[in-house]
Amino acid sequence: MTSKKSVKRKVTWLQIVTFAFATSISYVLGVVSSLIFPVLGAPGVSALYVAAAIYVPLGVWMGLWGALAGYFSCLFLGLYPSGYSIVQSLVWAFADFFEALIPVLIFKIFRINPDFSIKRPKAAKLFPILISLGAVLLLLGIAVQVVWGATLGEPFTSFYVYSVYIGTALAGLGIILGLFTGDPKTWAAYIASVILASLISGLWGAATLTLYNFPPPLPAEAFWPVFVGWVIGDLIVLSVIATALLVALTPVFKRTGLYVESWWA
Amino acid sequence: MPTVLKELVGIEAVSKWYMSLHVVTKIFIPFSISLSILFTKDPISVIPLILIAVAYCRISGISLSLLKRYILVIGSMTSFVALTFILFSRKPGNVIFDVTLLNIKAEKGIFEWRIFITDVALSYICLFTLRIFVMIFSAILLLGTLTDRDLVWGLRSIGLPLGFAIAASLFFRGVQFFISDFYTVREAMMARGVDFSRISLIKKFFLYINALIPLLSLMITRSYEVSMALEARGIAPGTKSRSLYHRPKMRRADYALLALNTLILFTYAMGSLC
Repeated sequence: MTSKKSVKRKVTWLQIVTFAFATSISYVLGVVSSLIFPVLGAPGVSALYVAAAIYVPLGVWMGLWGALAGYFSCLFLGLYPSGYSIVQSLVWAFADFFEALIPVLIFKIFRINPDFSIKRPKAAKLFPILISLGAVLLLLGIAVQVVWGATLGEPFTSFYVYSVYIGTALAGLGIILGLFTGDPKTWAAYIASVILASLISGLWGAATLTLYNFPPPLPAEAFWPVFVGWVIGDLIVLSVIATALLVALTPVFKRTGLYVESWWA
Repeated sequence: MPTVLKELVGIEAVSKWYMSLHVVTKIFIPFSISLSILFTKDPISVIPLILIAVAYCRISGISLSLLKRYILVIGSMTSFVALTFILFSRKPGNVIFDVTLLNIKAEKGIFEWRIFITDVALSYICLFTLRIFVMIFSAILLLGTLTDRDLVWGLRSIGLPLGFAIAASLFFRGVQFFISDFYTVREAMMARGVDFSRISLIKKFFLYINALIPLLSLMITRSYEVSMALEARGIAPGTKSRSLYHRPKMRRADYALLALNTLILFTYAMGSLC
């Protein structure tokens, strides 16, 4: 009898086709999000980027296919309707690649089998709000400190201290509640994924729009407004919409054989 | 075969001559124009690039009325660039306008928020705004002249396995499938009593978000059907096609346009060094 570990899984049409369709869905949702909830002045950036709720869960379910779906949907979003050039779009699109790559790395490196079943529904409803709110306060506090507090001191330093304390407390409470929601390993990995993915994606996305690109389409001074808008939008979408999709569809992906155990297959 | 832009917004290039160019040429032209933006240092140097991009759009037969669809992008980006240079930065130069909006006495100095306009700031606003036009025209040129068949044949002609070509083709088909599935789910909601004309925007948004679950389920079902059809034909993702129905060839016009655009790119690169 062949043991499960010795079977080498190969990439099948099912994964390729699902990746292609998921890329289309992410692209359409990306276009709709950036038109309905735009971060004004930064085309393609949305304060509620619903597309992230497709390719980030896809990363949890289908490994690197999710990251690729994020990259290509963002590449086309950069070209139309955002109007960035092909070179700028090729660089910028890595923001969404990294956004889906973070959960892939966390779930695969720590060998976590995602089990998003919910044992305490109230905790499941509350924790995304607390984590989003806490992370937003933390981010605002850090932004104020970096831009003004470091050079001008009070009252900006006090704002920084209070927002960081309150933000950390709320996010901490959210994380604890999240661990009580169901399987602690899965939820801890997911919460870490949401926060890290939003930050890293926002950092790359805002930096390639304002600081480093061929050339950056926006002035360097626009970095902070774009970064804060990007991260807040992603945090809300990932913690609310992506969580709902993961809870509802993880059993479906596992049952249909679409779930990828390794990186690609 | 419809171009990418035709599938998205119904507009495409009508010039048969331009559309018959090799896929490499059709990609390299907008690529070189967009790369040339990197070497522009002042508004004057951007104007020739805009003219080149517009000329290519005209040659390819893309209607410039398409620019209307980008008005929101152009308007929001231009105003954001202007506001950034006026409200959030202080470019040294001849001061044209200077007004203090907010003044807070901080521990180590004074926090001032000013409307500060100099001639250098205005020059930067012009530079960034003109660049936006080059970016948009080069993006229109790329998407308006590239068909999904170009991409599929291009991928096959460089010897990549069928998995790549089919994924590229399915991406374009997938956009239409998703929109059609969305209307199906929406009609199912309406059949169950949802009146989209009467409910609030927030409730509508949450209903559409809930629709993502059946939409993804439909995507999984469709993926199964398509992959089964491919498996049934005995094609593996790694299969390399031995035969090509269409073998695109580089012609003189392709070589000439590639040389011309390399020259434009080279001129801009050298100009930035001087």
